[in-house]
Amino acid sequence: MRAKITSSTIWMLAAMLTAMLTPMAHSAFAQTDNAANRTKVLRAAADALGMVRWSDIGSGPIHLPGIDAVNTMDIRATGTVGQSADAEYHVALAYNPPAMRIEITRKGAADGQSQHTIQTVREKYAWNESEIGAGLEPGKGTATPAMADQKERLLQLWILPYGVVKAALAAGDKTAVSTENGATVITFPLSGSLADVTVKATLDSKNLVAKVETRSDNAALMNLVTETEYSDYADHGELLTDIKSPGHIVEKQAGRPMLDIRVKGVDANNPYLVFPVPANVKAASATGK
Amino acid sequence: MRSHGHHFLVAALLCLLPAALFAQIDAEPGHALVSRTVNSAPTPSGATPRTPDGHPDLSGVWNALGDDLTGVPNQMANDGISIDSATSSHDVFNGAKIATFPRNTNRGLDTEKAERAASLLRRLGANRPIYKPEYWEMVKNLDENANEEDPSNNCLPSGIPRAGYPSFIGQTPTYFIFIYPGQGGLIATQTMYRMVPADGRKHTPLQDLDGTYTGEAIAHWDGDTLVVDSWGFDANTWFDQIGGYFHSENMHVIERFHRDGNTLTWTATVEDPDVLLEPWTTTPRVALLNPDPHAILLESQPCSERDLGHIVTKEHH
Repeated sequence: MRAKITSSTIWMLAAMLTAMLTPMAHSAFAQTDNAANRTKVLRAAADALGMVRWSDIGSGPIHLPGIDAVNTMDIRATGTVGQSADAEYHVALAYNPPAMRIEITRKGAADGQSQHTIQTVREKYAWNESEIGAGLEPGKGTATPAMADQKERLLQLWILPYGVVKAALAAGDKTAVSTENGATVITFPLSGSLADVTVKATLDSKNLVAKVETRSDNAALMNLVTETEYSDYADHGELLTDIKSPGHIVEKQAGRPMLDIRVKGVDANNPYLVFPVPANVKAASATGK
Repeated sequence: MRSHGHHFLVAALLCLLPAALFAQIDAEPGHALVSRTVNSAPTPSGATPRTPDGHPDLSGVWNALGDDLTGVPNQMANDGISIDSATSSHDVFNGAKIATFPRNTNRGLDTEKAERAASLLRRLGANRPIYKPEYWEMVKNLDENANEEDPSNNCLPSGIPRAGYPSFIGQTPTYFIFIYPGQGGLIATQTMYRMVPADGRKHTPLQDLDGTYTGEAIAHWDGDTLVVDSWGFDANTWFDQIGGYFHSENMHVIERFHRDGNTLTWTATVEDPDVLLEPWTTTPRVALLNPDPHAILLESQPCSERDLGHIVTKEHH
């Protein structure tokens, strides 16, 4: 009853095994290749922006790896915002937790008055402030819930160069790296309330994020279709940090010009910027208003 | 047969090669990892000793991780940034993951790059006190101009809770002695000591106290946790090492000390309704007992500020 094992049997088994394993091997090679390339490209993009940092000052025998050192940032710019050609644009942002406050002062209105708006988002909450920090203390300003704008505002955080790198890293193996017209392109889905949005970022020759396009298959999210170009990168801080920021930002939303601004100053030294959610905004969110 | 066997072996090895490559993909060529690449809190070991009255024995020299005021890794840990391995980090405050990357050079950073990185890394954490909005810009400006504004840069005492956990605790049934060695350099501070009664006495009414750097402290046990309650501060200190976190003379600080084996976990809650929207609690700091039973604190470096007059930018550590 013992099977007779001949050399031809061994060859046949070897051939079958090879036939079975070769595609797996190629697949494993390809996956390894993709993962390695993704790691390399995202590291290069993070390094170009100055995000990966370590310091050995006073560390003795401890030698820590590099970590993403970007959390909060304050950006001041001027230029065209929507229909206003002479506007001041002030952004305070944080990535942990994700939050952004955009303060826009539009000058040159027909009545000669400036128009001032403060639009804030933090995680699942969005609201408008009559003054910075409105609604947190009795009698100090008004916070108006603006939950319908939550996705649009949060998107502005993730299409900034730092947001692109952070979100692409967080997306893990859902992030794809390719080459288009000789440029490196990173494509990845966002998550959470922006899970329907796909980001495509194009790097320049210095691995800086030069262009960011967002798309969505959800017709209800067409206001989240954006195209933003970043250029003139430099350390724009009075207090130098070696964090590179774009000096010129041009953004289109659903094909319409949205921003064309020049950056005047950036505080990238993780400054004190906080975004507490007013109680009335939390309450409105809970009741779905 | 032998020849066929070799071919089979080669074929099988070729099939296995991708797995081997995959396993090595994260290794840095020619760059061996050093022995310690983390700053995460130490894991307690050993039993918690108790004094004859049954309370945990907190006495000893608590500096086995280095003094908590010095060293960027310790300062990052104080801010809640825990580097758990060469590939993983998180913010202790909210659990948020922080992207972690291998070093791409064995060369040390030059001083300027190291200082700028230290400044960023020490301010990365999400656990920030929430001031009343009218003070937000002031706090931001104080931190940005810390070279001139930080009280400790002029050799003043760091105060409480900025001092963190003491490097030495002496314990009796009715009082505690805390010693905080001073530091030289640009985060220079004076040596501080505190004698904290734990005899059941109550606070002096606040209006009867002249404010001091360490305030009036009284202690009691809450189970196995020592609670040190302090008020009666002056307003000359910031309540953390970074951030421009000023306070009023009405600051009230509640510190908690909990010993677990050879570790001591310290937190402080700051209440200051004059300037804060809500109380703020520090990220827990974990001290490691100096294992040398004969350990003593060495004399502090003298604090004699000579750098400030030569600083020409806003850059700071």
